[in-house]
Amino acid sequence: MLLEYSIIYKAQNHYENWVDDAHWQFLIIPEQNNSQEFVSIDFTNSLNVPNEFSVNAYGFKTIRVNPKMKFKDIAFEADFKLIKREVNPFDFRPEEDIEGSFKKIEELNFRVDFEPFLRTTPLTFLPQNDKGLFVFDHTQSIFENLQNLNNWTFKHLYFKTGVTSVDTKLHEILENKHGVCQDFTHLFCALARANNVPARYVSGYLHQGNGYFGDSQMHAWAEAYIPNIGWMGFDPTNNLLANTNHIKVAHGKDYEDCSPLKGVVHTHGEHETSHTVQVSSQQQQ
Amino acid sequence: MAHSSNQIFTSYERNPALLDEIYESNGEVKEIYKKLFSLYGEHSILDYVKLNEKAKSSFFNQGITFQVYSEKDTQEKIFPFDLFPRIIDPEDWDIIERGAIQRSKALNLFLWDVYHDKKIIKQGIVPMDLISSSINYMHQMLGVDPPGGIYNHISGTDIIKHSDGKYYVLEDNIRCPSGVSYVICNRTALKRALFGVFNHYQTCSVTNYAENLLELLESVKPKGVDVPNVVVITPGMYNSAFYEHSYLAKTMGVELVEGRDLFVENDFVYMKTIRGPLKVDIIYRRIDDLFLDPLEFKPDSSIGVPGLFAAYKKGNVTLANAPGTGVADDKAVYTYMPEIIKYYLNEEPILSNVHTYHCSRPDELKYVLEHIHELVIKPVDEAGGYGISIGNRLTKSEIETVKKQIKENPRKYVAQPILSLSVHPTYIDESESFEQRHVDLRTFTILGKDKEFVLKGGLTRVALKKGNLIVNSSQGGGSKDTWVLKNN
Amino acid sequence: MLARVANNLFWMGRYIERSEHIARYLNVNYFSSLDAPNERSQDRQFVLRSMLFMVGDPVTDEKLFLDEENVLYKIGLDPGFAFSIINNVKYARENANSARDLISTELYEAINKFYHFVLKYPVDAYVKNGLHDFTVNVTEMSAILRGKIRGTLLHDEVYAIILMGVNIERATQIIRIINAKYNDALKAQGSYGHKFGNSFEWTTLLKCAESYDMMRRFYKKTPSSITTLEFLILNPNSPRSVMNSLNQVYKHIRELDLNRTYDKKSTSFLVGKVRAEYEYKLIEEIEGDIQSFIDSILDRLSEISLKMENEFFHY
Repeated sequence: MLLEYSIIYKAQNHYENWVDDAHWQFLIIPEQNNSQEFVSIDFTNSLNVPNEFSVNAYGFKTIRVNPKMKFKDIAFEADFKLIKREVNPFDFRPEEDIEGSFKKIEELNFRVDFEPFLRTTPLTFLPQNDKGLFVFDHTQSIFENLQNLNNWTFKHLYFKTGVTSVDTKLHEILENKHGVCQDFTHLFCALARANNVPARYVSGYLHQGNGYFGDSQMHAWAEAYIPNIGWMGFDPTNNLLANTNHIKVAHGKDYEDCSPLKGVVHTHGEHETSHTVQVSSQQQQ
Repeated sequence: MAHSSNQIFTSYERNPALLDEIYESNGEVKEIYKKLFSLYGEHSILDYVKLNEKAKSSFFNQGITFQVYSEKDTQEKIFPFDLFPRIIDPEDWDIIERGAIQRSKALNLFLWDVYHDKKIIKQGIVPMDLISSSINYMHQMLGVDPPGGIYNHISGTDIIKHSDGKYYVLEDNIRCPSGVSYVICNRTALKRALFGVFNHYQTCSVTNYAENLLELLESVKPKGVDVPNVVVITPGMYNSAFYEHSYLAKTMGVELVEGRDLFVENDFVYMKTIRGPLKVDIIYRRIDDLFLDPLEFKPDSSIGVPGLFAAYKKGNVTLANAPGTGVADDKAVYTYMPEIIKYYLNEEPILSNVHTYHCSRPDELKYVLEHIHELVIKPVDEAGGYGISIGNRLTKSEIETVKKQIKENPRKYVAQPILSLSVHPTYIDESESFEQRHVDLRTFTILGKDKEFVLKGGLTRVALKKGNLIVNSSQGGGSKDTWVLKNN
Repeated sequence: MLARVANNLFWMGRYIERSEHIARYLNVNYFSSLDAPNERSQDRQFVLRSMLFMVGDPVTDEKLFLDEENVLYKIGLDPGFAFSIINNVKYARENANSARDLISTELYEAINKFYHFVLKYPVDAYVKNGLHDFTVNVTEMSAILRGKIRGTLLHDEVYAIILMGVNIERATQIIRIINAKYNDALKAQGSYGHKFGNSFEWTTLLKCAESYDMMRRFYKKTPSSITTLEFLILNPNSPRSVMNSLNQVYKHIRELDLNRTYDKKSTSFLVGKVRAEYEYKLIEEIEGDIQSFIDSILDRLSEISLKMENEFFHY
C-alpha cells in the first residue's frame, strides 16, 4: 500500500532591529530511501530571495537562504509531498544466533565501522553511575533488548514540553525524569551505546493522525544497528517501532548533527521565532 | 685557548652538563663554526649592543610584530631576534629533511586511512581510542576525498637536539603551523646587520618558500579548474600571526582575504572585489577547523564563511590544510609515529621520537604519577606551549595539583622524560653578553600532488629566559637565523 | 582587488592627507599669529578657536577661556579625540595594515615609522615647546608617504584608489581651511582699520596650503580675498586647488571605471559633472556668497565619496 504525505513546515522570524546580514540552513527535506519516495518540494520565503539547495557536512540535503538585503521580518514555508511505502517494522528475519550477535558487536572491526554511533557526545553523556540504568540481557536477542529499552525509556521519563531545551544534558533529564522527544531519544541512544549497540539520532516528521506525542514540531526518534538485520527505528517517546508514520529527514550522533535550522544573523536586540509542522496523508490508489 | 683573544666570548660561561652546538666535546670550537667565531670576535661587545638595537628597530619599523593581549591593554611586540646564527651541516640536514618528509607522508596516509577504511586501527596497529576519544576527529570528513589526496599540505615539525647529539622530534604541527615568515625575516635582518659573514659560507637560500607553496597549492586545484584563483584567509589584522598571513599572500602574489570578503553561492566560493564577485578555487586557510563555517561548526564564528564546508565537500574548492588534520597532531598519535611510519611506508623512522607515556594506560599512568618530578607533562590537544608542566620545576603543591588534573582526565595527558635541549650562544640584552640558551628547530614541509619540499633552514627558536625549556613565542621565546650549508 | 581592501586604501589616503593639513594649520596659524599686524590676529584665544573650528570642533561660547596646552594636546596627541592627528595617523596605519599585501614594503615601513613617531612623541615637550618640531615632522612624513605612494607602487587600480582618497580629502581640507580662515577674516575685520578684502588672514590661508610663494609669483601682488580664493579654488595649475584635486579625482576614476558607455548613475559621471561645473566658474560668482559656495562644494565632495563607496566598496 502506498501513502501520499503532505508536509507543511513554516517558520517565522521577527527582529526588533534591522538585520544586515543573515544566513540560514534548513535541514528539513525528507530523505529518499527504501520506503520514502520523493515527489515535490516547494520552498518559499517572504522576501522572495533565491533559495539554494545543497548538502550539509554529513551529506543530507539542505536549503540555504541568504537575503542580501535589510529586513526585520522573514517567513519561510516549505511544502513537501512524498510517497511512502507501508512499513511493517516486524518484517525481518529474527536473529538466529543470539550469542553470535553479541559477539559481533564486540569485534574491533564492527566497533571501528560504527565508531560515530558508539561514541559519547555531550548530549548523550551518561554520568558513570547511570551507565547501569539499563543492562542488556544476553539471553534475549539484541532486538528484544532494544524493544525493552524502548519501553523502559518510555516509562522512565514522562513527556512534558517546555521544561527542557535542545541542549539539556542527560544528567538533568534523568534527575527530573521528564522531557520531549529529543530527550527520550538521547537517553535511548546513550543506553544502547553503553551496551555496545550502535545507535543514532533521527530527526523527521511524525504523522499525528493516531494521537502520538510529537507536539506539531519536528519529531525525533532513534535507529539502532542490529548485526545481520541492519538499522531499525525505535520511537521511545511513543514506545513504538518506527513505522509508516515516521518520515525521516536526517540522522546523526545527536541533535547537534540534525538540528533542523541553523542560522547566523547579524543584528542586535530581541527577536521572536516560531515554527510549525503539519503532516497529512491520504491513501494512494 | 683560541677564544681568550675573542672579546665577545671572553665572558661566555659554558655549563659542561649541556650540549653546546658550537663546541666539540673536547672544548674546541667546531670546524663549521670556526670562521664565524673568529669573524664575530673581530667586533667588540659594544658593536653588538648597537647592531642589536638596530635590528630591533628594523623589525619594529617594518611592522614585523605580533600583538600580546593582557587584561589591561594590547601591546605590539617584536619576536626577539638573535644575531648569532645557528649552522646545520649538510649531513645533519639530510637526516632532518628526509625525516620530515617521511613523517609528513606517513601522517598524510594515516589521515586518509582514518577518514576512509581505518585499516590501521582494524589491524590493531594503533588503538581505536586515537579516533574514538579525540575531540579533533571530524566525522564530517568521513569519506571525503581531498583534492590530490593531500590533507597536511603544510607541516611544521618541531625537532630538538638532545645531549646525546641525536635529533628527536617533539611534535608534528599539521593544523596551521606558523613561523615561516620569521625564517625569511631573520635571514634579511642578519644580512642587513652583518652581511660580511655570508661571504665565508655557502648558505642555502630561504626565499623560495612562497613560490614552492604556491606551486603546491596549484597542484591540488579542484577538478575542472584551469588557472586556479588562490587566496590566503586570515582571521584578521588583530591575529598574532597576521604579519605572516600578509607576508605569504604578498610573496605569492595572491589576495589576502577575511571571511567577510568571501561568500558561497550554489556551492561555489566567491570573493567580493571592486568589480563584483570573483570565483575562488584554493584557500590557504589560517583559521582553525571549527571557525571555517558557522553553519556547520561554531555558529558564533564571525571569521568563517557560511556554506564553505558544503562547497568543499562538493569538491568546488580546496582547503589547505584539509579540515580534520587535527586528529593526527594530537600528542597521543605522536607516540605511535614509529608504528605509523612502518605501517604505511614500510620504513624505519629516520628521526627519533621521544619516549612517551600515555596517562590513559593504567600502568603508564602509575609510572607517571610516581615519577612526575622527572617528566614533562603535556595536554594532548593544546598548542603554543600552553598547559605544559615540567616536573623538576614544580613545587610540592604544584605537583599535587598536576597529579589531580591527570587523575581526573588521564586521556588528556601524556608525559615524556625531561630532555636536555642543546644550547647555543645567544646575545642577551640585559647582561649585554653572549650566554647559553636552549634551542629547538621548527622545519616547514610542503606536501603536494607528486611534490615535496622542505624549507632549507627552518626556525630556530630560543628560550630566552635562563634555563627555560619552552621556546614558544607566546612564552617569551626568540629566534635565530638558521643556516643550512650547501653540500660541496 | 577586494572591495573591503579598496575601501581601506581609499581611507588610508584620506587619513594621510588629513593629518598633514591639520598639522600645517596648527603650525602656520600659531606661528604667524606671533607677529601678526593686528591685535585680533595676535590674540591667542582667537588662534586657538580657529584651530578647533578647522578640525570640526568649534567653540561657540565666546566667554570660555581656552587653555593653550589643552587645545594643542587635544588636536595633536589626544587619543580620546576622534579628529586628533594621532588618531588620523593611527587610522591610516590600521587601514594600511589590512592592505599590507597590496602595498610596497617601503610604503608600509614609512607609514609604520610615521605611526611610531607620533605614538612616541612626548606629550609634555609637544605642548610646551615642541609644536613646531612635531608639526613640521608630520607634514614632512606625509610628504614622504606621498613620494612612496608615487614612487614604489604599481600605477594600477590600487594606486588610483589611494590617490582618489588623497585628492578628495585634499579638496575637502582646503575647503575646510578656507572656511576657517574666511570665518577668521570676518571676525578680524574692523579692528584697527582692518578690512575683509585684504585681511592678513589671506596670507595665513595661503601658507596653510603651502601656496603663498606660488601665488605671489602668479599674481605679483599682495593677496586679497579674490585672488586668494581664485588661486586656491579655481586655478587648475595650483597644486592644492580644489580644481586641481577634482581633475586628479576625475583622472583616477576613469582608470578605475573601465565602462565607457553613458551611465549617469556612475561615480565617474558625477565627478565629471562636478568638475565641469567648476572648470568655467568665475571667482566673482563665488565671492558674493562664499559661505553657500563652501557648503555646496563640501556637499558635492561627500556625495562623490558616498557614491564611490556604493559603487566600489560595497561588501
